[in-house]
Amino acid sequence: MEENVMEPDVSAAQQGSANAWETVTAALVSPGSSVSEESLTESLALLNRHGLSDFLGGWLLETLQMRLTVSVVPEFWSGLKQPENELEEKDRAWVLLTAFQTLLDRLGPFLDGLERLGAWQDKGFGGLCGSGAEGLHERAFTIIRALLLFSPPTVLQERVLEFYSRTFSVHMNQEGEAGEAEDGAEAGGCPGCGVPPQQCWCQEALEQLQELSHILSRLRLLEWVSSEAVTSILHKLIEQRMEQHCRGEYERSFLLDFQEWLELVLGWLSRVFTSETNGGCPVPVPSAASSSRAGQPASTILQQWRCHMHQFFCRIYVNMRIEELFSIIRDFPESKAAIEDLKFCLERTNQRQQLLTSLKSAFESRLLHPGVHTSDILTVYISAIKALRELDPSMVILQVACQPIRKYLRTREDTVRQIVAGLTGDAEGCSDLASELSRADPVTLEMQESDDEGSDPEEWTPDPTDAVTDKTGSKRRSSDIISLLVSIYGSKEIFIDEYRTVLADRLLHQLNYNTAREIRNVELLKLRFGESHMHYCEVMLKDMADSRRINSNIREEESRLGEEEQPPLSLSAMILSSEFWPQLKEEKLELPPLVCQAMEAYTHRYEKLKAMRTLSWKPHLGSVTLDVELEDRVLTNFTVSPIHAAIILHFQDKSSWTLEELSGKLGVPKETVHRKLALWQQQGVLREEAGGRYSVLETGSSRERLERSVMLIDSDEEGDSNTTTQSEQREEKLQLFWAYIQAMLTNLESMTLDRIHSMLRMFVATGPVVTEMDVNELEAFLQRKVREHQLMFSAGVYRLPKSN
Amino acid sequence: MKVKIKQWNGVASWLWVANDENCGICRMSFNGCCPDCKVPGDDCPLVWGQCSHCFHMHCILKWLNSQQVQQQCPMCRQEWKFKE
Repeated sequence: MEENVMEPDVSAAQQGSANAWETVTAALVSPGSSVSEESLTESLALLNRHGLSDFLGGWLLETLQMRLTVSVVPEFWSGLKQPENELEEKDRAWVLLTAFQTLLDRLGPFLDGLERLGAWQDKGFGGLCGSGAEGLHERAFTIIRALLLFSPPTVLQERVLEFYSRTFSVHMNQEGEAGEAEDGAEAGGCPGCGVPPQQCWCQEALEQLQELSHILSRLRLLEWVSSEAVTSILHKLIEQRMEQHCRGEYERSFLLDFQEWLELVLGWLSRVFTSETNGGCPVPVPSAASSSRAGQPASTILQQWRCHMHQFFCRIYVNMRIEELFSIIRDFPESKAAIEDLKFCLERTNQRQQLLTSLKSAFESRLLHPGVHTSDILTVYISAIKALRELDPSMVILQVACQPIRKYLRTREDTVRQIVAGLTGDAEGCSDLASELSRADPVTLEMQESDDEGSDPEEWTPDPTDAVTDKTGSKRRSSDIISLLVSIYGSKEIFIDEYRTVLADRLLHQLNYNTAREIRNVELLKLRFGESHMHYCEVMLKDMADSRRINSNIREEESRLGEEEQPPLSLSAMILSSEFWPQLKEEKLELPPLVCQAMEAYTHRYEKLKAMRTLSWKPHLGSVTLDVELEDRVLTNFTVSPIHAAIILHFQDKSSWTLEELSGKLGVPKETVHRKLALWQQQGVLREEAGGRYSVLETGSSRERLERSVMLIDSDEEGDSNTTTQSEQREEKLQLFWAYIQAMLTNLESMTLDRIHSMLRMFVATGPVVTEMDVNELEAFLQRKVREHQLMFSAGVYRLPKSN
Repeated sequence: MKVKIKQWNGVASWLWVANDENCGICRMSFNGCCPDCKVPGDDCPLVWGQCSHCFHMHCILKWLNSQQVQQQCPMCRQEWKFKE
């Protein structure tokens, strides 16, 4: 420089511009140089004249790039890595900060140069190098980022992560979230920085954080260096917190808690990202249009982070709850809070499909296998209905997710019976259905067409996209528990029939003609199923009332008789309208003459009471209360079935019987007699002797059951139904169709299965018996006929055998 | 041993003493009721004609009301007279 100044002669112009270049470049990269403002202006003007100022920007960037490659970047990395692993966390933080501090110091001159160049350009000196001052800045920072972070060793992320985690826990600690930092608390140290209190560097850490943020934002590296670390810290913490607080905890809503917590976290984020505003950093805030990330106002960045965190929270929460959904459903009314939270979050994340898939498979693996009792499946299904209709008012989730349950329940034989038992409140532990039945505003199961007018077309909302497309629109998608259960089989007739069976059993088993509860149930069911369907049940209940009246009538008549005409035993009857009751099991039983006489007498009186009507007794049904007096003991008020009574009455006449004799006398198969004798053996009244003889035990040896005065029917009979089972009934019904089928085949020679099915449906009048007939059921029936050689099947058609 | 029966609760079903199972008019069972009725028995009784045919009371009354000229038993075409 000195030399140039001393030789101003030859090619002065060239020399002058070279001088001017030197002056200017020196001023750009070393701000401390003693070049005066005037000579600088002069030099600039000179360069400008020669059109050289355009190259200033390029030169500056070139120099920056070179300097970075050669010294600054290697120095930065070695500075960061240098002290290997033996340092304390606190020192590592310090090293991190120092490395960046050095970086800033090294690059400082260039940054100032850039400033200057920009300023000159604004003043009109120096050509614009392409994109102007701001463009130059952009490019300079791009170069820095590119060279520095081209292939960053993991150590940077590790250090940054560690440092941020620490400052995070310090921050949270200061904001009153103590106890969160688990490592500090257990060592008895400062909950913020995890070291003994006397060495606490919380405050220091926060200051370092501020400084680091400051440096990074000056270098416009903040987003690049911190985003990843911050994101992973936040994700980890949210997940961790969720695991600690929410997992398995369904009875409390966590949304607000988390909202508050997120606000605290945002406080920390603002420390990380907004240092330029309070740090007094000279970096000019460029116009939003020209900068993409680095220069955005702090509030915007924070806003973005807030959204991001919220979104992330929702997703994690939904993930966790989806995993737990089965348990949540099982606990339903208690887990309502969790369902509501989930609903809120699910609306913000696109995870319905995931939820459906996961819930379906949870049902399949945890519920729908042979090890689960039908009533338990029903209980879960009911909870699922309740829970999912909260979760998704459009009922689509309910419909789709519970499809496997419904399908499975269809394969269980006792489903209908369990549901009916639930409805009538018989099932233990399953009071939901009974209370549902007595709800104030029942949904009738009749198709309601009037709904169309009721709803406002403006309020129509389309179905979610995952809805199953079927003919039933969203309106039909019922949320009513009873309608859903009843529709498992697609027909309410099956249910009503089953209910009738259950009702018949109950009425036949109870002896006091007390029907208040049954009447209430029937009335409630009438609201659901409609009057006409419950008509049969009403007649059954009426029979009860009529029987009671007739009994008291006949009783009164008897009491007017003289002493010697009194009937030998007190007989009361339950008189049924046979057409309206389910088919009762027909069993033969010859009752002792004494009882037969009483029954005849009763029938006689009944015939008198009701002209042209008579009674047909079902000897095996009913119950008998009796006392058995033995030599040394008495069994009193013993309630047994008629066959038990008949057996013991025979022993009164003759104290020893063989099984054959009894069987002949009673008209009942030997096996049955043998089974029934067990009760009396249990009671110690009878004893089996050698040669299959039974005899009375007049003097009881030590019988511990003696004191029990009332003993109910023996175990093999407990809960024995008096009505034929559903499958027996269906069998019989199909048998009824056999005549039709034969006639059809005689006329039409051969028919396919479908044809037979549709013909039957067309012609066979609907009676009280369910006529819902499954093709499969029909096929099974026909196949059996084929096996029995009553039918031939070939080439897809059925025909009658030729010989017929 | 002595067995003392205190109470015997039997079960029986009632039925009409008629020479047929179904009503010749509505083809429903006598032990059920005519199509217009809901409750069998007292509320839907049977009646006998002098020709010994019997029907649901409601059924035969409907039939007789629909006959303008002569009141005949729908089964045997004899003049219908209620059996006393």
